[in-house]
Amino acid sequence: MREFWELYKNGQWEVPFLTFSIYLFVAASLILYLIIVASRNGKIKKERLSREYSALIDKIMSAVIFQDVSFAEVKKDKNFLVLFDTSFFREVLTESLINLHKNYEGIYAQKLEQFYKESGLIKDSFRKLKSLKWEVKCKGITELAEFNIKEAFDRIIVYSKARKKTLKIVALNAAIKLEGTKSVNYLVEHSDPIDDWMQLNIIGAFKKHDVGDTVGIEHLLESQNTTVVALGLKLIKELKLTQKLPHVVHLAENTSNTVIKYKAQSLLQALTV
Amino acid sequence: MTFFNTEITWFLDVYILLILGYAILIMSSYLALAYISTKELRRYLKRNSFVDYDVLLTSEFAPKLSLIAPAYNEGLTIEENVKSLLSLNYNNYQVIVVNDGSKDNSMEILTKTYDLVLTDLEFHPKIETKKIRGIYTSRNAAFKKLIVVDKENGGKADALNVGLNIAQNPYVVCIDVDCILDKDSLLKLAKPFLESYGKRIIATGGVVRIANQCIIKNGRLVEVNVPDVMLSRIQVLEYLRAFLLGRMAWGKLDGLLLISGAFGAFDKEIAILSGGYSTKTVGEDMELIVRMRRYMLDNKLPYSVSYIPDPLCWTEAPEDFKIFKKQRSRWMRGTIETLSIHRKMFLNPKYKLLGMLSVPYWTLFEFLAPAIEFIGLVITAVFIVFGLLNWHFFFLLLLFVYTFAVLFSVIALYSEEKTYHKYPKQADFFKLLMAAFIEPFYFHPLTVYAALVGYKEKMMGAKGWGEMTRKGFTKK
Repeated sequence: MREFWELYKNGQWEVPFLTFSIYLFVAASLILYLIIVASRNGKIKKERLSREYSALIDKIMSAVIFQDVSFAEVKKDKNFLVLFDTSFFREVLTESLINLHKNYEGIYAQKLEQFYKESGLIKDSFRKLKSLKWEVKCKGITELAEFNIKEAFDRIIVYSKARKKTLKIVALNAAIKLEGTKSVNYLVEHSDPIDDWMQLNIIGAFKKHDVGDTVGIEHLLESQNTTVVALGLKLIKELKLTQKLPHVVHLAENTSNTVIKYKAQSLLQALTV
Repeated sequence: MTFFNTEITWFLDVYILLILGYAILIMSSYLALAYISTKELRRYLKRNSFVDYDVLLTSEFAPKLSLIAPAYNEGLTIEENVKSLLSLNYNNYQVIVVNDGSKDNSMEILTKTYDLVLTDLEFHPKIETKKIRGIYTSRNAAFKKLIVVDKENGGKADALNVGLNIAQNPYVVCIDVDCILDKDSLLKLAKPFLESYGKRIIATGGVVRIANQCIIKNGRLVEVNVPDVMLSRIQVLEYLRAFLLGRMAWGKLDGLLLISGAFGAFDKEIAILSGGYSTKTVGEDMELIVRMRRYMLDNKLPYSVSYIPDPLCWTEAPEDFKIFKKQRSRWMRGTIETLSIHRKMFLNPKYKLLGMLSVPYWTLFEFLAPAIEFIGLVITAVFIVFGLLNWHFFFLLLLFVYTFAVLFSVIALYSEEKTYHKYPKQADFFKLLMAAFIEPFYFHPLTVYAALVGYKEKMMGAKGWGEMTRKGFTKK
């Protein structure tokens, strides 16, 4: 440090500074170049592995769905067991399971859910919920919701109050899929504003998961949080819940908030025409 | 004589310090912005991996958008371009094509292709524009989203203002009609308008990338390639640096001064209240954003400008130096005009980050940089003539700047690799890497020259865009 100070004091710092900076820039460029090359190679390798794994997984899944092969039988294959120990294989397997589960219903979907539980992939998903990284939590939540793991509801709904908005949305989406309006009741007490994007996601979840039982949605209109009330009105409009109109009339008559009053009145107009 | 020598030595010391100080300042600002950008970009991509854009597609509460596409002499490509605009993934939108008095057969092509008929669409113009000859809609229900306005020529800003007057939706998306948009571009652009509570999102900007030599099929980009022509190839790198390492950071700091005219969405009400696009500048895109921001700050209204880093819009870059020079000199004129119109904001604490950081940054590093470089060159030439140049130091300084320029391009390539990875072919990566080494010798002097031409044109009172010839995309 003293050497640098001496150089600066003597007014001789420019040349050493420039020389040092040039070396630094060259070294940094070289390191970045090597990282890029390594990253590209890594991607190529991952793609190749993914292709190989997918081919194997497709065969296994086809046997599970159409030939009633259980996980106990699948794991007799030593090659599978070795692969199953690697996290990347399990990742690809979970992704494939999710994609298949999205495409199948009824008995086939149940077989996939069974496989998910028996294989222990469900434990991976629960483990993800404990992660400190929000994105890992989101992944775990999505997986559990996809396979209709209702036991996960109580743990998932906790994250609907998380500070991270994406986690909040993913958790609410999953909770709506698992338990319908039960999850929305948590929102009545919600103190933070719910922005339009989040509202749209909640409405989207109701539509996507075809939540038939809408009992309790009217409670949203009683919230002290105006954004929650607005969400309730939008839900009633999008889902065309005409049976909830008396609650809307009550809201329109009693609210002191002019914006909410206007929204309630226009909803009444839209649904009664 | 001794006194004279002392004076010269003092002048040399001060000059070196100034040059070095400026270089260090510009480099550290670039690195700081790159750091913020890279961090924010990763955060964005993580968030985005859990976003379900389909909720926007299926909801009646999705923001209603009006797409405004000004067209001037676009007869060769207009049919296909409009078709691609009409087939974007979005429900609540209309397309307004404004034919800005084209001299070619654009209007005939549109009328014939889309079965247009004159309509008496009622609207109340809030911004003064050139005369409208007619407003047309299609008889074919398949094109019910389309409105075509035929007007007298008044320039791009005037055409956009006509679009603003006619738009029936609360948000407008202004685009260049010859740009290739990603199918989901409107979904991504609309989302930020729903996201902010308590703050009004007045504009959203998207990333523009270079489409030269890329393969286009049915108005959609199907294969990304790096151009063989060095001028456009280096522009690929330049756009990567600007959008991935610069604007992302300004977006995060909420100090973005420019949303590209090729692709940006605006809150129509605020755009109109601010006066719409200025027809007095060639940098109407930058000027509008600055004016809208200024309007919000003057009226103490909480607001924000959002930025989407996804590559949503692909445009053609000039491959020929003459056209490149015209484009860059116009950009410089636009910068000068905008900074001059809003000079009151410079270092004015009333305008917060915008006045204290964004405007001074643009003044110092965008507007003045070419002038400073030119002055530096002249002084260096004088030193050489009088034998005063310390060649060792000169080469060190040159190498210092050169290695930094290469490093910064490599950082952009690294950022691209870790995020969008749009150039997966090895050959393309090496082409871009090679461009990073060549750029400081070949491309940079051209940009400085074009900027100096821009200064000159501004001083001579030049107005207007000049003709911009495009080669057209590679189609499959």
